[in-house]
Amino acid sequence: MSRHIKPHRWADAFAGKLDDSERAAMELHAETCASCARSRDRVGRASDSFGAIRTQAAPELPWDSVRARVHWSVSKEKRSQSQPPRLRVPVLAWAALAAMAAGALGVATNRPVVVVEDAVVEMRPPVARPSSHQTSPRPDVIVPPPAALAALVVRTAGATSSGDVMIDGVRPTNLFARRLGAGTVIATGEGRIDLQFGDASAFALGPSSTLELRRFDAQMIELVVNGTIDLEVAPRLAGQRFVVVAGEHTVEVRGTRFRVSRESAATTIECRHGMVAVRDRSAQVDVGTARRVKLAPGVAVSADLVVPLSVAELASLAETDPVRVPLWNLDTLTTGSAPLEIATVGRRDVRVDGIELGSAPMLVRVMPGRHTVEAADSAGRFRRAGWVDVAAPAPDGKPARVEVPAEPPKTAGIAERRRQLRAGIDQARLSRCTRSIAKAGLTGTYVEVELVVDASGAVGFLNVIDTDLPAATASCVREVLADVPFGAGVPATWREKLDL
Amino acid sequence: MLGGVKRDTGSLAALGPADEADLIARCRADERGAHDEFYHRFRRSIAGNLYRVLGDRTDLDDLVQEVFVIAFRGLEKFRGDARLSTWLYRICVNVALGRIRTRKRRPPPIGVTDLDSAAVDPSLVDRPEQPDRALERHQDQARVYRALETLAPKKRIVLYLHEIEGLDLKEIAYLVDSNPVTVRTRLFYARREFYRLIAGDDAAPVPTDDKDDKDDKDGAS
Repeated sequence: MSRHIKPHRWADAFAGKLDDSERAAMELHAETCASCARSRDRVGRASDSFGAIRTQAAPELPWDSVRARVHWSVSKEKRSQSQPPRLRVPVLAWAALAAMAAGALGVATNRPVVVVEDAVVEMRPPVARPSSHQTSPRPDVIVPPPAALAALVVRTAGATSSGDVMIDGVRPTNLFARRLGAGTVIATGEGRIDLQFGDASAFALGPSSTLELRRFDAQMIELVVNGTIDLEVAPRLAGQRFVVVAGEHTVEVRGTRFRVSRESAATTIECRHGMVAVRDRSAQVDVGTARRVKLAPGVAVSADLVVPLSVAELASLAETDPVRVPLWNLDTLTTGSAPLEIATVGRRDVRVDGIELGSAPMLVRVMPGRHTVEAADSAGRFRRAGWVDVAAPAPDGKPARVEVPAEPPKTAGIAERRRQLRAGIDQARLSRCTRSIAKAGLTGTYVEVELVVDASGAVGFLNVIDTDLPAATASCVREVLADVPFGAGVPATWREKLDL
Repeated sequence: MLGGVKRDTGSLAALGPADEADLIARCRADERGAHDEFYHRFRRSIAGNLYRVLGDRTDLDDLVQEVFVIAFRGLEKFRGDARLSTWLYRICVNVALGRIRTRKRRPPPIGVTDLDSAAVDPSLVDRPEQPDRALERHQDQARVYRALETLAPKKRIVLYLHEIEGLDLKEIAYLVDSNPVTVRTRLFYARREFYRLIAGDDAAPVPTDDKDDKDDKDGAS
């Protein structure tokens, strides 16, 4: 072989596509040809790297953010498909129409008219008052447009403190500084967002949901929701309307607390307080306090579908109430309040200045000053996590931050202390305590206590948390438990429920 | 009907045909949970495919988003001619192709190839790699992507799918929406150009043989 070997032939050789004799001839040539040997080495190294490229793992990406953007893009398309097509008239046609209308107006009122693009501005004459003997023209009635409303973000919570919220398709850098008005579309990822738009009016958009503020003014509020929204609405004045559109159903509100959840399988409206009217094309039904209506697609609204909510469901609804700040003033809050970031390891219920705010991590709007943050432990007790000074909104929009330390792991000594408690109860005394109620036929009673035992075995405190015993009997039982001897060991705090 | 590409395009994406049909049906019914499942099941394989094809992670999240949006939009028209993972891989290829074309028009920032050597799945490495070997491997990969960058987008995709992913002509033809004969021709010229670049790299060009060129062209046609 006297000619140089083409590089892709080396690739064929490395891939095993050539027979042995041909490969041997190529190797023989490469021994005497430096150029081909170099070519062989380079192609060989490239072929080796193919395997490494093939096994490259996917890099980590902001998955929740990508999910939220996908969700927003897809739902936006669906929204636009569901809306009736708008008549598209070229700008020139609008201008022509405006000019014609302006001309007609000028002729009718005998006033000069100036057309500015597509708006008509009427020029009033300097002396326009008609004399008394002239027929007075119809006075111009100027109806001012209803005052536009704006909502402010009060809290975001979820997997991350920012809650992966998108406003109009982008993740705003300073979410808390924005005023959200008509036309805004909000989309959530795995978190939720709470917004306030009045003293006692707020709503919270749940995870993986979208909300469009289709109309948002003093006269009419129209929200289009896909997903879950919890609302608290102050009583409307006469002439004011508040509707929530969820697919084919419309919920009309006066003043109430309720939830609308629109899924593909059904739309559910749960009213916690007040009353809402749910209607579709054919009918309307009222859903009152502690009632729910679940509407499958294509099923007409009917009073038969309204069912009462259980206590547990009501309690669950109460936990999702949107957060509100007191003394609502849009300007003051925009310029004077600032977000506070509460970072936790895992989900922890938190309180700020004694007010329960739900599950952190979260960003919450607070007024400038010093704030105390508490976090709940596994037993549900709030413990102080620290305090933080919040200044007025920083220009860079970086929020004040407080980190809640991770909860210490449960001590292994609880099981041992629990065993000591069970073994150390004086059963004879306990029986004497419950004898009187047993004689009365009252059996199957219980008492739940909370104990703290220190390292020396001394009982720090012993409180009866819950019981169905009469007070005297419960006190007697408590004394029996307080006399249980604990040896030295691991300090422990726990709750114990004893069936008597 | 294509049963799926030979190589697993995403180990997490393995779904039985029945599960796949169920997931598609639920997605078509606009069930949010199904959309989430779809996303979580395929996100890593899609990101991995795009990353390997392009060789850098610039705007990778945007491209992943684009793939999912196209997929959700196109699920209504998905006929099931191929496995769902293959169909998604096809979307990845097309999105990557679009990206390559855009990048050709708009030169990328410095450091196009940033395939991170640390991104290799540790389970695939028997023992810790020596730093000099890791650097060498990183440089080899960078050289491969540099050579790929110089190819025309269509040639690049075909070459990548054949040489690196190890797909055959029929599978590549499905993924790039072409026919196998065209793919074969495109691959022939792509390989010749690519390996010539690899062999020559920045050194002196490798001498060519006109006769061989002619023979190869005849063979390719």
